[in-house]
This record gives sequence, C-alpha cells and structure tokens, in this order.
Amino acid sequence: MAVAWIGNRETLVEHAAAHAAALLWSSRCPVFSFDTDIHGTRAAIALAERVGAAYDHADGAALARETALFTDKGAMTVAPGETRRRADVVVIVGELPKIHHDFVGELADTTPDLSARNEREFFLVGSNGTPAPPLVNGRTATLLSCGQVSLGATLAALRAQYRGRQTSQSVSNFDDFAKALTAARFPVFLFSGHATEGLALEMLQGLIADLNRKSRASGLHLPASENGWGSVLASTWMTGFPLRTGFARGFPEFDPWRYDVARMIAAGEADLHLRISTTIVRPQKKRNRLALIALAKTKEPVAGAAVTIAIGEAGVEHEAVVYSSRTGSLRSVDAQAASELPSAATIIRLVANNVSAEAALPC
Amino acid sequence: MLTKIAGGDIIDPVNGRLGKGDVWIRDDKIVAAPAAGAADRTIEADGCIVMAGAIDIHSHIGGGNVNTARLLLPEQHAAHQARPAATPLSNAGWSTFETGCLYAKMGFTTVVEPAMSPGAALHTHLELADIPIIDKATLAILGNDDFLLSMIRDTASSTMIEDYVAWTVASTRALGVKVINAGAAAAFKENVRTFSLDDMVPSYGVSSRKIVKTLQAAVEGLGVPHPLHVHCNNLGSPGSADTAAATIAAAEGLPLHLAHLQFYGYGTEGKRRFSSAAARLAELVNATPEVTIDIGQVMFGQTVTISSDVMRQFSARGSAHPKKAVIHDGDGNGGGIVPYSYGKDFYGTMQWAIGLELFLLIDDPWRVFFTTDHPNGAPFTAYPALFELLMSRKARNEMAAGLSQSALALSTLAAIDREYTFEEIAIMTRAAPAKLLGLTDRGHLGGGAIADIAVYRRDEDIAKMLGKAAYVFKDGDLVVQNGEITHYRWGKALRLNPSPDKAMVRRLEDYHQQRYGLSLDWFNFPDSAIAREQPFGEVPCRT
Repeated sequence: MAVAWIGNRETLVEHAAAHAAALLWSSRCPVFSFDTDIHGTRAAIALAERVGAAYDHADGAALARETALFTDKGAMTVAPGETRRRADVVVIVGELPKIHHDFVGELADTTPDLSARNEREFFLVGSNGTPAPPLVNGRTATLLSCGQVSLGATLAALRAQYRGRQTSQSVSNFDDFAKALTAARFPVFLFSGHATEGLALEMLQGLIADLNRKSRASGLHLPASENGWGSVLASTWMTGFPLRTGFARGFPEFDPWRYDVARMIAAGEADLHLRISTTIVRPQKKRNRLALIALAKTKEPVAGAAVTIAIGEAGVEHEAVVYSSRTGSLRSVDAQAASELPSAATIIRLVANNVSAEAALPC
Repeated sequence: MLTKIAGGDIIDPVNGRLGKGDVWIRDDKIVAAPAAGAADRTIEADGCIVMAGAIDIHSHIGGGNVNTARLLLPEQHAAHQARPAATPLSNAGWSTFETGCLYAKMGFTTVVEPAMSPGAALHTHLELADIPIIDKATLAILGNDDFLLSMIRDTASSTMIEDYVAWTVASTRALGVKVINAGAAAAFKENVRTFSLDDMVPSYGVSSRKIVKTLQAAVEGLGVPHPLHVHCNNLGSPGSADTAAATIAAAEGLPLHLAHLQFYGYGTEGKRRFSSAAARLAELVNATPEVTIDIGQVMFGQTVTISSDVMRQFSARGSAHPKKAVIHDGDGNGGGIVPYSYGKDFYGTMQWAIGLELFLLIDDPWRVFFTTDHPNGAPFTAYPALFELLMSRKARNEMAAGLSQSALALSTLAAIDREYTFEEIAIMTRAAPAKLLGLTDRGHLGGGAIADIAVYRRDEDIAKMLGKAAYVFKDGDLVVQNGEITHYRWGKALRLNPSPDKAMVRRLEDYHQQRYGLSLDWFNFPDSAIAREQPFGEVPCRT
C-alpha cells in the first residue's frame, strides 16, 4: 500500500520525508497545525523549534478561547470523577461538543454518592435554540434563558439576579434555579469554549466565584477538542506556553493573535503549511503560493499537497497517550486495530532527521 | 572510559573524605583509584571543591498543578527569555527542558517532585521524562481520597491499608508517599474553610491526625525508605507553629518528614499578631530525632504558589499577584495556583527570617533539608543566593539592613552567628537527602556510587561559585563545563515497585467501576507510554 507521495507521485516514505524537510528548511515562514496525540504534539513542537515554525491546533479558535480563560483570568474547576460523584446540581452552559454528550447522559443516569442529597437536578443556560445533550430516563434540563440575547448576557443576568441586583431582562425559571442552589451542596457548571465566547466563560467564572463566597460550586471544563487540550498541556510543559506559540526568533513566543495559524495562512504570512491530522484537509484555493505538507490518514495524495505521508490514527492503529475529558488527565490507549501505518510522531521525527545533521529531536 | 578528577578538595562526609585528592570514574560509576593504568580523561580540579551531585527532595517541577501554573502565567517568563542555545528547547521559558538544564548547571543531579496526584501520574511522568540530564522522582499524594478515608472510617486492617498504599505507589511509579493537609481537601468540598489536626472530615468521621498516623504506619510497614512526607494543616496561618508542634509530637517515635517548615513558623506576637516561632520549632526538631524537615525558604520577588492544599490556596486567592488564580477540586486533593510576590515588607521579611532561623537553629544537618519549596518560597534559581546567606553572616546582615526592622526585631536571626561549612552543605544537599530517600547509590563519592559529581571552582562569591559549576558529571557523562550545558542526555524517574496485592487490585477494579463508571485500566499505563528508553530506575524497599 502506498503511504507517501510527492505531489501526485507515489514514493518511498524516506524520500517524501526528505522532500518535506527540504521544503521546511527553505521556508521563510512555516506554520504547523495539528490534531494529534501527545507524542505527535511533542515531536511537532520539537520540529517547530528546529525550523522556526509557529504552531496551533487544526481548529484552534475554540481552544484559544479556553486557553485565554486560564492565561487571562484563572478559573475554579473540578475533576470529572468528582462531578459524577458529588454534583447534586448540574448546569449545562451553552452548547457542548457532541463528544461530551455521553458523559452528560451518564450524569443523568447516576446519582452523586458523595453528596448527602443523593439526587441530581439539571439546568441549561442558553436560549430555546441551544442544543442540549440528550438526558436519559426522561429527564430534562430546566432552561435558564433571557430569550435570544447572547450566552454571556444571560450568564451576566443570572449572576446579577443571584446577587439580588436588578436586571433589564429576567432569567427564565430563575426561582427554580435559586431554590436548587439553596439546597445544593456542590453544584457544577459544565462549560466548553466550543460555542462559548471568552467573555461568557469569564462571566461564568464570576458566578462560580460568587457562589463560593458562602457555599461550594465549581466548573467542569469539557474542552472543545480532547486532542487539542492534550496539545495545550504538552506545549505548555515543553515551552512554557500553550498553543499559538512560534519560534520565528529562535525561542518560543506566545501570541494568540500573531500565531493564529489560520489567520497567518489567510493573511498570506505563511509560505508553508505542515498539517498533521488523521482527517484530510479539503482542497484549498491556491493563494499566496502556500505549500502544503499533509500528514493524514489517507490512501491517496491530498489534493494540492506538495508532500503527503499517510499516518495511522492514534489509539486506533497504534498505542497513544491522549487527553481524556472523562478523567480530566492524560490516558494511555492501546491500539484497537493495529496497522502498519506509522504514527504522526514517527513521521515527524523522520522529517526532522532530514532537516539538519544535528542530534535527534528531544521528543 | 576511565576519568580522573585530579587534585580537587574532596568533600564526602559519608566516606570521611575531606581534603585534597582524586576521584576516579569508570564509565557511569565511581571507582577506587586503579592500581595501574592511566586515565582516558583527566579533569584538573586544583582550586576546586568536589562533591557528589546535589539532591533536591522537594521541588515542584512537573505535573498537573505545575503545568497549570505555567498556563496561568505566560507573562512571567516572556520578559526574560534566554537567547538561543545549542541544546534543544533548553531556552524555552519556564519549561521542563529549562528545568533540567538550570538544575544541572548548579550541580544538582536528582530532584524530587513531591506532589503527584495519583490520577495524574502519567501526565506527571511525561513531564518528568522531558526534563533532561537529571534523575527525578515523585511522591504520590494520599490522604484526601475517598477510598482511603472510607477504609479508615470502616476500620480496615492495617494490612489492607498497606495493600492500598503499595498499589498506589507501584501503579503511579512513586518513590514515596505524601499527605497534604490530611482530610482538608475532602472537607473543603463540603464547605469547611479551616481544618486542624484534630478536626474531623465530614461524612467520614475521621480526624486529620488519624489519617496522618494511618499513612505513617503504612509507609513504615511497607518499608518505604522515605518517611511519610507531611504537609501539615494551617499552612501560612499566624499561630501555625502550634499545628507544626502538634504534628512533630505526633511522630511518636516513627520517622516523619515535615515539608517546608518555614510556612508553619508563625507565632501570634506583636501588634500585627504575626511573629517568628522558629526558635521554638527548631528546639522541638532538635529534641525529636525521628523527625526530619525541609525549610521552604522565602526569597524576595515574584513567584507562584502551587499546592495541592486546595483549602489553603482558596483562602489565599485574594492575595494573588497578578490577580488571577486556579482552584481545582480533584478526585483526591486537587490544587490551587496563586501567583504571589514576596515583598520586603513586614510579612515578607518575617518569612525570610524564619526560614533562615530554622536553617541555622536546627543543629543536625542530617535532618534539615535545603529547599525553597520551589516555586512556593522562591524559584530554585534562588539557590545560589540562599547558599550564600547560610554560609556568610556578613551576607545575611547586608541583606537584613534593607528589610523591615520591625519584623527582624521579632526574630532571633540577628543574634545567630552560625555559618554553614562546605561539609555541612554537602551533608544537607547530598548525603542526607540520599539517606532520607533510600538512594544508597548516590549522595557520596565512594566506590560503586553512580558518578553524579559536581565540581565548583573556589570563589569568594559563594553564590557565583555554587550557581555555576565548573564541571558536572551525571552517570559519568560530563554534562556541564564552566556553568554551561555541554551534553544533553535523559535521566530516569526513580521509583519503588512493591508488589500489589491481587485482592486489593480486584477491590479497586470494582470500586472504579461502581463509583466512576470506568475500568481501572483508565488509570494505569505501561512504561512504553513514556516513549523513552528505560524511563524508570527501581529503588528497593527496606526489608
């Protein structure tokens, strides 16, 4: 089976890696975007340092909002295990990514064994159109809404009403919510940057801080992308900075606007894009002579790519370490259907070994 | 390869070597001088001090809370980036890569991360694996987890508790056990805001003292070399010296290590009701031979406090500088990240003085350990300056002259003449940590020891001398010359490996399935997940 191409021409992986390395070495402004496991991320960041690249998640906007909550404001958070065992009130804040719907369903199907209340109520902050995760056992979440205003405005109204302040628009079912909070021992707010703006995330943390003046509450961070949040963690320990970091000047600089890789590509700043993801990018319009190196799970060359190398899916075709929102930490995953396709980390190291004659990558 | 470090001033308290001499290295081990044959490489150490590589027993260098602190504070290292260096990622801010390089440059070759949440063991070890050059180790946190508290409540046998502790240590690849404000994180989840040694954890009816004593007995029973590592209750509170004194008394003849005692050295005298109780605590430590302590020295400037004492960190969030914090309720302890700047005001001066008093008033350098509780009291990069304060009364007086005199008036520091000798430094930072951790293969320069060696060129400026080693060997590899990294390598994480009891594993499997809806497999990991060759080094338990 072919696993590497230069343009549309099938070739050996070693040749494709060498060609990719040559492109990276000659690039004026290389950018990386990835959606990969921890070891793929580590290898990619080490390569980025070597070639002076900027890097980001393949779908970085939502992750950037979540990251900004921590870099700019801080947060009160709780582990998913404690949420399952202790949350007697669960508040779903806005739209959650589908990958977390099973866990929300699990919360609806269980009761908190570490809470004296031994029951669980559900609320949903949003509008009538906010898609709610399906709850089992015929349970429903009580809607807390200010009509069609933004989620941030609804959270602001909720926070103001909780503090006994006047609001221009009252939150629907607020009395039920207030009653539930009065009885609650450990309410937990489920949040994600998936469809929630940064200011809304901050407002939510303000509400949680208010609740903690006299009682307990916390927030469960359900990241927009599990791979993405894993990459945030790995980037932070490797460079001191989260994603949207660049090595243009030989050392890492974090700048969530400047190193927004999607922006850099759209603005024509980048001249080479290394995309690492098992999903295949859609063919892009040729603009600004941007060259593409694609590491993807594919049986054919990615349209428009100067180099394509096939990789296996982490945790499916090879063992992997991934972030798990179910445990709130990193998890080792065995290959479920092992194949001979190499991991992203393997290919990235192969490319790096062709970039220069220096020592092997540290990761 | 045979290497000779020739003509240095050897300081090796364990083997009684003090004075001019040679040290020989064959490959990765220290050996006796060969009867014949010339060295393949000779390091001229005339005018240098030669000691074993230093060991830091308590420094928060990796894991979930440390990484959250990095995430919270990108601005804290953007302003002082190092320029590009020859070693991969070694110039990267406050990162794993920089951590290993900075420690090695000072002659440290083994560092213990003292607070690993068992649920984040894989994350912690992945970070430690990315710390180059030095060896690492971790202590697993217990004492706020439902499984243990339930067992204590239900009066489980000591054997069952030992089985659980053994499983935790083995599965997390830890070198020991730490308890952090025992029971307080569990109590905080039930809205308790202060928690002392004899307070009860709600819903369990178990006191903090009972948790500490239970874990102390289990650690002793299992033959874990390092005594139970205790972060006491009431950290940072005026009057916390009473808590520390009560905890010291609770040792009751069994080994116990109290972490960062400086943060408990606070009395309630003076108009601010904040004074030094260091002399009292030092006297207690001196009189209690089964107790060891590390200091957690405060040095001035910006830092970030990182602690799994979530209750304490929650109460401290108002003093955050800059004004942001993360408070996390974890499955056991969780943690709190609160940035803080130690100023030269009354309170900062008092904390600084208390740490030094403890260092200087505790007589036995085998029982007092050199730490800043990195980064809680100060970043470990402050170590050279701290060595100077310990070894020079003049340096202390010069520093004190610019500090709060009203604070110093409430401490005994000005009256202390003691200056640490190099031999005492070698005990406190090499020999004693190795003994405390059960690491017989390091901390000394005797034959058979691993060749972890630091060579310092003598200089009147102690901070300069101990801040940039002339030569550092790690496992026989020359990794530092003239204070710069010359060779990049990967160390190991040192761990114990007690055999888990099969019945306990079954019980834990059932517990995780029932309580978390997850198999135990979700929390285990193979060594291969670390993606480094031989990521772990095994240390035996006492028999």
